[in-house]
Formats: sequence, structure tokens, C-alpha cells
Amino acid sequence: MALVKEDRCEESHKYMSLALHQAKLALEALEVPVGCVILEEGNIIASGRNRTNETRNATRHAEMEAIDELIGQWQKDRLSPSQVAEKFSKCVLYVTCEPCIMCASALSFLGIKEVYYGCGNDKFGGCGSILSLHLGSSQTEEGQGGKGYKCKGGIMADEAVSLFKCFYEQGNPNAPKPHRPVVQRERGLSLLETNMV
Amino acid sequence: MDSDTWEIIHIPDKPTFSPEHQPTLKVFASVIKPKFANTIVRQLCKIAPLEDLRHVKRVRKKLLPDHGEPQLTVILCLAPEDNDHLNDMPPDVLKLVDPYELSPFITQVCKYAAVSKEEWEEQCKIWPTSFHPPTYNIDGIGGFSEEDTQSICKFMRVAIDLAVSGHKPLVNAAVIVDPSVRKIIASETDQAYPSSAPHDMTSAETISNHCQSIDRMSNVSSEIWLNGILEKLNGSFSTVACLNPWHWSLQSHDSDSQWHPLTHASMVAIDSSSARDRYLFPNSTDSFIPDHSQPSDADCPAKKQKTNSHSPEVLNGNKEALRDPSIEKPYLCTGYDIFLVWEPCTMCAMALVHQRIKRIFYAFPNPTAGGLGSVYRLQGEKSLNHHYAVFRVLLPGGAHNALHQHLKHVTAES
Repeated sequence: MALVKEDRCEESHKYMSLALHQAKLALEALEVPVGCVILEEGNIIASGRNRTNETRNATRHAEMEAIDELIGQWQKDRLSPSQVAEKFSKCVLYVTCEPCIMCASALSFLGIKEVYYGCGNDKFGGCGSILSLHLGSSQTEEGQGGKGYKCKGGIMADEAVSLFKCFYEQGNPNAPKPHRPVVQRERGLSLLETNMV
Repeated sequence: MDSDTWEIIHIPDKPTFSPEHQPTLKVFASVIKPKFANTIVRQLCKIAPLEDLRHVKRVRKKLLPDHGEPQLTVILCLAPEDNDHLNDMPPDVLKLVDPYELSPFITQVCKYAAVSKEEWEEQCKIWPTSFHPPTYNIDGIGGFSEEDTQSICKFMRVAIDLAVSGHKPLVNAAVIVDPSVRKIIASETDQAYPSSAPHDMTSAETISNHCQSIDRMSNVSSEIWLNGILEKLNGSFSTVACLNPWHWSLQSHDSDSQWHPLTHASMVAIDSSSARDRYLFPNSTDSFIPDHSQPSDADCPAKKQKTNSHSPEVLNGNKEALRDPSIEKPYLCTGYDIFLVWEPCTMCAMALVHQRIKRIFYAFPNPTAGGLGSVYRLQGEKSLNHHYAVFRVLLPGGAHNALHQHLKHVTAES
């Protein structure tokens, strides 16, 4: 039993390292460093990283990038909506930071199977920090179908946080000037410290 | 209330209570002798401050018919909600009882500050409170001018027309507007379901023509418009993405059409406004890139100067010419309004936080997944880094009531 647990831990570290690699790519591109990978039966089938500055679209989070990659591929393969839903129900997401309220809702709409995240997100977190959208719809009326998913945080959280620290030290180049001057060490750090799980 | 006019109501940060049924808290209070008032209040502020009850007056002054001098009652401290034992007062407060001849009793005060004059008047019947009319710096919370109201109704009609026209199934529609120049930045509909036909690019020109035609409409044609809309809205709501965000996989499938379960109207409109931003201001990210000549932190991966692959220099000349010099470069959707037919789901509501929308206007609530008051209330989540103001636009002639009944019926069936 203990052995199985250890294997699991090793496995989750392996996938989270890949998500962290995506986050580092985001950092190199001067983006908020969040990255993710999506697995189907143990195989990586999509990856994504934050592209909010590049696209000037603040909804282009890592999760959305990876989801779009999958849906694009499955549409090319001419899968029907119900086949796509079937696929998502077998997918597992590894993401370096707790999904925000938007992404946590999207993952529920898609009916994803499981989510593993690194550090918590005490400002926008939708998987327990601010709202608990992973538990599914609070309205349990017949047929309203708010799907929930299994969710676990704290996997390699320190690594995810240290990437954020790097980012805030270098400054968000796209933030409007009065809000976050490019070098504002203290504020960036304290903001992150409260972000830790 | 005139049922022939449009009405815009603010959806506040916290749930609204009827003025007569506001939540209350128990407190210990006591009548005090006026000569002790200053000393007692000063001491109480030190030993039992009412941190979360700043709206509650510490002292109640009552004029009694048979006394010459007003009666003063002071709040000593909070009382436990589950029992009425006077012994539960903190020792520091208990110590004041004898020297100042107090006779503590339990009473009620209102838990939340009043948001309207009506609420405040009801609160003062229980225990006096102070009332500060909202001082948000977002236009509209204190009421709209006639001109603003007309403009808001006009854009809401643009959204409703988009939602019902050109689509067989009903969809949600989103219109992003720059209110400073009353100009449409983006207008889109749901593209979540295979059955919702791909949306024709609505050019800014057709939209502005549309607005002008609405401006010219007389009251009579406005009534005809409303009846027509009501008829169309009587169909099934099952293809309105924000109302049924979990049901996309049940839709029939036409292999040639594009669909995506997350392309709700707001998401598409945000995408479209950011595409506009990138087109009109191709190089603007450059000016914000900080100087990276200083050595980087040893733990960090090497930082690269961002290469601007999406905006080739050659095109800039043309775009500069297209650009109205008076248009300022937007930061996301800062300062913009969005008009939606249905209250957005939590995904869309949070997307609008991320994109820094200033005000949201919607016509109909979303009892299944609404993020702005119906199920969740993101405008009241204090931890978020941006807050918009939310308004509901009620259609004239009680149309909203008829639809609401219909919606209840439909959602109960599904």
C-alpha cells in the first residue's frame, strides 16, 4: 500500500514538473508563470501556458490554452460533442496554480475527471480558496447537471511560488503603470507569500 | 412605476433583504446616566470596539414624554447568539456595571449597513444607524441621467436583436461598448453549440446603422419590437450557453459546423475586443517592456527580450492611418461596458473580472449558473483584484415578468 502511494507521488511529481516547464516558458515570454498539462490514460495529450499579455486577452490562461488545443484536435478528428464529452471525462489536469473561478467553472462544464494543482490561489481560486466550483453545481435539481471533479492541491507548490516570485521581481510589463510599477519588490513578495498553501 | 418604460436596477455586492427583514445581531446594552456618557463611551471604545458594526450608533438618545431630559442607552458589547446569559459579558465590560450603575439587557442591531434610505429608516426602528449613500466612483450606481438611460436601453436592444435574429435557436449575445464615446467595441453571440450557426462578422458599420435605426424608432414601433422579441423569446432556452453550460454534449451534431463548449458570448466578445486591440495598437506592448539590462536573479531562467512576431513593421503605416488619433490604447477592457441578454455564468462573470470590464448590464437572470447574483455573486467577492458594477435592465411592459415565468417553467422541465 505504502509503495503504491509512493509511486503515485512520484508520478504526480513527474507530471507537475512538465506543467512547471510550461510555466517557465511563460516566464521567459514575460507572462504570469502558470503552466499545465492534460493527460489521458497516463499520456500527455495537451499542454498550455499563460498567454494573457501576448494576446491582450486576460482569459488566455494555461488551462484555456490546453483545452483549446484538445478541442481543436478533436474537431479535426470529427468527433461529435458527445464523443468529446466522453474524452474529457477521462482527462486529468496538472496545473501549477489552483484554477481561477473562470477556469474551475470551465473544467466543470467540460466534465473533466481530476485536477491536481501546485500552489493555492487566495485571490481568485475556484477550487476551494474563494469558491468551490469543483464540487459541482450547488443546485442539485434533476437534470441541472452541475458536474464536479476530484481536486487535490499542494503538489510542488514551492516551485510554482518561486516562479511567481521571479515574475513579480521582473514586473508585469503589461500592467497599467499606476497599478504595478515595474520594480516593486515588497508588494510582489508579500502578495505571493499569502498565496502559498 | 411606469410599466411602459425601461428600468435599470443596480445589483449590489451583497444579497438584498426587504427593508423589514434585515439580518440583526444581539448586543448587550444599558441605560446610562448622561453625566457618565462620555467616560463610558470612551472606555467601551477601548475595551469593546464594534469593529464590524461601524454603521451602528453606539448611543441611542430617546426623548421620553414624561422626562425633561433625554434617555441615553449605550451598546456595551456583542452578545452571544445562542443564549441570553448576562454573565457572558467580557470581564472588562462587567467591571463597568457597578461603578456606573448599569443595568444590562439584550437588544438587537442591524448587521449590515443600509444601502438605501428605506433600509435605513427600518433599521432605525430597531436601533439607530448611520447611512451613507453609496460613494462608488462607478457611474450609474447613484442613478442614470436621461441621456445615459437612453444609451443603455439602445445597446441592450442591440444585444437582444443579436440574440434572436439570424439564429434559429436562441443564444446569448454580448455587446462591449466604450461608454465615453458610446461606440461598440465588439458584438458577438454564443458559439457553443453545433446547432448555433456560425456568426456572421457583424461589422461596426452595420451595428452603427442599427443603432441609428433604433434611435429613429417611435414609441409605437418600440412596442411592436417588444412584441416581436417576446414571441421569439418564447422558444426553447436550451441553446443559451450560460443557462445550460453543462449540456453542450447533448446537442445534435452537424459535422461541418464549428462549435466549442466554452465559446459563450462573453468569451467570444472578449476575444474579439482583444483582437481589435492587437490590430489597432500592434506595437504597444513594446513600450511597456522593462529594461532587462540588469543581471537577472540567479534562480530565474534567462529572460528574453520579447520578439514581436505578431506585428510586422510593414503593416504599421497603414494601421496608423486607420487609427483615430483620439482613440487611446485600451488596457484590456478598462472603462468599457458589456450588455448581455442573460446574466453570465460563473466562467463568463470571472472572465469579465479578468478583462477589467467596468459595468455589466443584463436583461434576464440565470437561475442555473448565474455568477452575478442568481447563484454566485462575484461583484461581492472582496478578494478579487477588480470589481465591476452590475445592473439589470428591465424591459418595458412587464416583459421581464412574463419571461421570468417562462424561464422558471423551462428550467424546471429540463
